[in-house]
Amino acid sequence: MSDVLLALLVTVPLVAAIFPLLFGLRYKNAGWPIALAGSLGVTGLAGTLAWEIFTAPTEAGQRLIHEMAGYPAPYGIELVGDGLSALIALLIGVVSVAVLAYSRTTGPGSNAFYSGLLLLMGGLLGMTLTGDLFNLFVFLEIVGLITYALVASDDSGMAAYGALKYLFLGTVGASLYLIGVGYLLVATGSLNMLDLQARLAELGYTDPLVQAAFGFILIGLMLKIAVFPLHTWQPDAYTYAPDTVSAYISALVSTTAAYALIRISFDVFTLDFFAANPLITDAVVLVASISIVVGSLLAAMQTEIKRVFAYSSVAQFGMIVVAIGLNSRTALFGAVIHLVGHGLMKATLFMGAGILSSAYGATTISDYAGLAKRSPITSGGLAVTGLALVGIPPSIGILGKWYIALGAVESGSWSVAIVIFISTLLTLTYVARIIETLYFNAPPEASHEEAAANESVDHVAAADSPVADGGHTNRVATERIVVVAVLAVSTVALFASVGLFDAMLDPVFGRFFQ
Amino acid sequence: MSDDPTNQPDERYDGRVDTDGVARQRPVYTESQVIMTTVKAVIPFVMTYGLFVTFHGADSPGGGFQGGAIIASVVLMIAFAFGIESTRAWLANSTIVGLGTAGVFLFGAIGFGPILLGENFLEYTAYYPVFGDLLGLKKYEFVKYGMEAVEIVGIAFIVSGILMGLFFALAAGDSRSEPSEADFREGDLRDGADSATLGGESDD
Amino acid sequence: MIDPGPLLTTDLIGLATTRHAYLLFVLLSTIGLYMLIANQNLVKKVIGVNMFQTGIFLFFITSAYRVGGSAPIIEGAGPYVSPLPQVIVLTAIVVGISLTAVGLALSIRLYNEYGTLRADALREVIGDE
Repeated sequence: MSDVLLALLVTVPLVAAIFPLLFGLRYKNAGWPIALAGSLGVTGLAGTLAWEIFTAPTEAGQRLIHEMAGYPAPYGIELVGDGLSALIALLIGVVSVAVLAYSRTTGPGSNAFYSGLLLLMGGLLGMTLTGDLFNLFVFLEIVGLITYALVASDDSGMAAYGALKYLFLGTVGASLYLIGVGYLLVATGSLNMLDLQARLAELGYTDPLVQAAFGFILIGLMLKIAVFPLHTWQPDAYTYAPDTVSAYISALVSTTAAYALIRISFDVFTLDFFAANPLITDAVVLVASISIVVGSLLAAMQTEIKRVFAYSSVAQFGMIVVAIGLNSRTALFGAVIHLVGHGLMKATLFMGAGILSSAYGATTISDYAGLAKRSPITSGGLAVTGLALVGIPPSIGILGKWYIALGAVESGSWSVAIVIFISTLLTLTYVARIIETLYFNAPPEASHEEAAANESVDHVAAADSPVADGGHTNRVATERIVVVAVLAVSTVALFASVGLFDAMLDPVFGRFFQ
Repeated sequence: MSDDPTNQPDERYDGRVDTDGVARQRPVYTESQVIMTTVKAVIPFVMTYGLFVTFHGADSPGGGFQGGAIIASVVLMIAFAFGIESTRAWLANSTIVGLGTAGVFLFGAIGFGPILLGENFLEYTAYYPVFGDLLGLKKYEFVKYGMEAVEIVGIAFIVSGILMGLFFALAAGDSRSEPSEADFREGDLRDGADSATLGGESDD
Repeated sequence: MIDPGPLLTTDLIGLATTRHAYLLFVLLSTIGLYMLIANQNLVKKVIGVNMFQTGIFLFFITSAYRVGGSAPIIEGAGPYVSPLPQVIVLTAIVVGISLTAVGLALSIRLYNEYGTLRADALREVIGDE
């Protein structure tokens, strides 16, 4: 009976998405409470699912299956929940609650926006929980469509440009994935993930059709994950989108696509596929390593804050794809921890940047000069999360990177470990620059009236004096700062959670790496 | 193509104010006797065909998507023949939103029912113990009628509601195409400051 | 390094006459992708995406076809064409329509904002901002 949780997790946000529009006919601001209630419900359900899987006594209980319409696999579509998908579902729930708490008073607040956010949540959960390849495509496209619309929900024309660029590239990626699924359908006649595992094993992993299918699926998902050189949509989309949307999609959309790649690589094409095709394995490791280095380099060269974070995502997801290519259990363990950790860290960073942007109009690194005195909590949160991103213990960032590097060394790829080390140094470069500008650079020269009026964050500037720093301080709602602070603390506190991750992922990896 | 669209005097702007008090750009509507008469004659048949395609999706090409699109095209034809504003005045916004949301809600309800009765999502045969005698259907026939119900009452409503709504939303034009006061404020913040402080700001 | 043997012994003419649908799939998809990349007009890029997706649908439908098969409805007799790829294509068509709608709406907005539909002009204008 507990597998009904899976069906509820997917359908509750999708059906709840109609209520902001419906109640919006009558009440003006009906969107936010409904969206918050929906995300709290989803978090509760995801937590229940994770708890059930964590405490399941039997082998069967650790992998919950819900057959839609009662048709058994491989004829029907299944929803599957095991340790890995429950973790990602929990991440989706928690980030949704955080971003919704953050966006009460800021960001595009129309009812259609909150409807879209709920639909996006439903699409992400569908992608996480499905056990069928074509169902994954449908949810992938749902997520993509809503993301394009949400990125464009800012008032500027640049948001439409970023969204359109993302649309073109994302559609090509999803269509390439569809070609891969088509090849698998032609080869085996089945779309169910576990059934395909058995049939592909019979077919043989050196069949060109199977290799081509993997190639297409890999490239399509790499486009959605944004690894170099298929990342070009990401900086524009993340920078020009409203801050709420940037925080949400940077934490969740690429994460779920990376989860899909992990699931397909190890559940459909198992380790034996990688063993039989060393060329593909080496190519994946090579391209991902290049992405790690180039992402960090490009991030260090940027001046605009949101662009720095966007390019940093390219590097972090490069590390996750490298872990897939290494075929090592330790590395994959690190990759899943890094998926969850990166989601939390990126959401916090974008939300913190959003607070500083709405309070002071600060969008570039030099704009951040001396802001630590004026908003100590936000700057503290940004600094702590930035250091967690670099990988300074104790934080969840170091956990993920450590296990990936350990797995690389264990499987003999010293070059990957060196690449991760180089990327950590480069990450330290730009994070240190941000922290230095926040804390140690003097704020720009302000006139006396400005200086007197801006003694604390709570004061609104008396007049819009056209001074060099051009800014009037706007009051920022407290809950935004609270959300950033809580998430920043959690990225440090989750350092102690290795045991939990291990317990959840052990049965799943046992199946992957038998 | 103009180099500066905001400076060019737009002869299409006819100064009318929309039902929600916002003045929007509109393409000017010219009455055409041919189109009006044709549309008046053709609409009932198109609507019937749309309904036919919706209902016969199981046995011939068609179904919810196609039928919903054809039904939406009925309203689009009326808009082309008689003018977009008058069609919008006739077809209230709440009808369109209601159509779309009712579709999602009914789809969800029909799918959820089996869960409440103890079976899996969308498992229509779960309705047999409850409704079998009432409707006089055998167990396997519930699958056929359940799928038809979802298609007709769920998907056709959703598709037609959304197509109509999107048409009117896009035809209303971009309220951003006129330069607003906000663009001229110095130091404009990209995300927009909190609505807590900017009391005079209109939340659009 | 590359073994030319299999390529020289493939019956290319036989391939072109019997499996022409697959060749058409490759052709359509490549033309669509080229339009998306090379053409500077935004609307033509959207058309290119549509053509790319149409090629993929053609591939799915071709894989469903059986020579001499009838529609997959039980009353008809004999071998049936496979219904599964047809359903896949129906869903994918709807997805494609939604993407086209969003793409065109964004193009309209970009035109209203910047007065141009050319991607290279937009890149310059936005890059300078």
